[in-house]
Amino acid sequence: MRRASSRIAAALLVGGVSLASWGAPASQWQVVHDESTLAFTATQTGSEFDGAFEFAADMRFDRADLAASAFDVTVDITSVDTGSRRRDQALADQAWFWFEQHPEAYFRSKRIEHIAGDRYEAVADLTIKENTHEVTLPFTWEQDGDSAELQGTVTARMQGGLTMDRTRWDVGTGEWSSGDTIGREVEVRVDLRLTR
Amino acid sequence: MRWRNSPEQWGAVARAFHWAIALFIIANIPLGLWADALPLSPTKVEAFYWHKSIGLTVLWLALLRLLWRAANPTPRLPAIMPRWERMLAHASHALLYSAMIAMPLSGWVIHSASGFPLDLYGVISVPDIVPGNLDDGAVEDGAATVHYWIFILICVLLTLHLAGAFKHHFIDRDEVLRRMLPFARASTRADTPNRSVTRAPDEGKR
Repeated sequence: MRRASSRIAAALLVGGVSLASWGAPASQWQVVHDESTLAFTATQTGSEFDGAFEFAADMRFDRADLAASAFDVTVDITSVDTGSRRRDQALADQAWFWFEQHPEAYFRSKRIEHIAGDRYEAVADLTIKENTHEVTLPFTWEQDGDSAELQGTVTARMQGGLTMDRTRWDVGTGEWSSGDTIGREVEVRVDLRLTR
Repeated sequence: MRWRNSPEQWGAVARAFHWAIALFIIANIPLGLWADALPLSPTKVEAFYWHKSIGLTVLWLALLRLLWRAANPTPRLPAIMPRWERMLAHASHALLYSAMIAMPLSGWVIHSASGFPLDLYGVISVPDIVPGNLDDGAVEDGAATVHYWIFILICVLLTLHLAGAFKHHFIDRDEVLRRMLPFARASTRADTPNRSVTRAPDEGKR
């Protein structure tokens, strides 16, 4: 309550500009891509390997206005880099990501909930190869101060992760789906540096 | 059977090294050829996992074997062997030992360059000995070429090795093959005293 009232006060004080944005969607953030990763860890014959994707993200987040906060992420599936030429080539195949038909994957939040402190959860639809399933992404949001309404660059860091069964999205079909050779569980991690 | 070698006999440890490495090499050649020929599939990935595990096992066994060899006397060759046969035996064995090291090492380079993970026996994380994806695969391709030619060399050496062993046993009728057999008796045969191993003129030079 104190926060909300001080926000109103601040908005009133700075007048027109802030007032105009009042009621607008929650704060829009820009991803600093050089300092951000969308990465994953999977297993091959019992050993872990890491990979990463490039992505574009429309990030709207306001701790005081979670109802208007939303993440809309488009993942460039063809950018997958697992540190292995052969494996990256194989991932383009129909059994895996099928680059030709499905070059992009989508993460679209439906609601964002506060858990405690810096911890939140985003409930989202994750679409890969035209399979859409609801996932819950727990994340932390750390922000340097709350006086952002005024001016200057504000930075935030968002870190989250979830574990998914790749076969629900048809990633690794046919004989790959057993998970004996390439594990079915994939741990996805997101670590974003954001400014606004 | 004694653990250590004598000037006449291979000890139990040397024989165990010989036959363990022999079995692994003989298993790994068709396994590698098969894995290489398979289309990409879980079976191929698994086959290469075992091929790599066996190959690295040969590597450390071969290193231990060389240490053991250095710490033991090497049984003498029969005194009646002509000089060219001795030289051929020494050269082919030196090459076999070299191949036992170089073959898994070149495989290890291919593996490292490929960027795949490997935990030996599911426990020991195998480090990369070259960086992954170097020079757009040039290192991997180069190491694969080396791996292939050492494979050809091993085929030639194994043929020679078997030919030599059978010649000793069936033509020369000496102890050379028998004394490396896993469960052979340690003594020279009493019924062939003239062909038993005797002191060679070049004893101690090997």
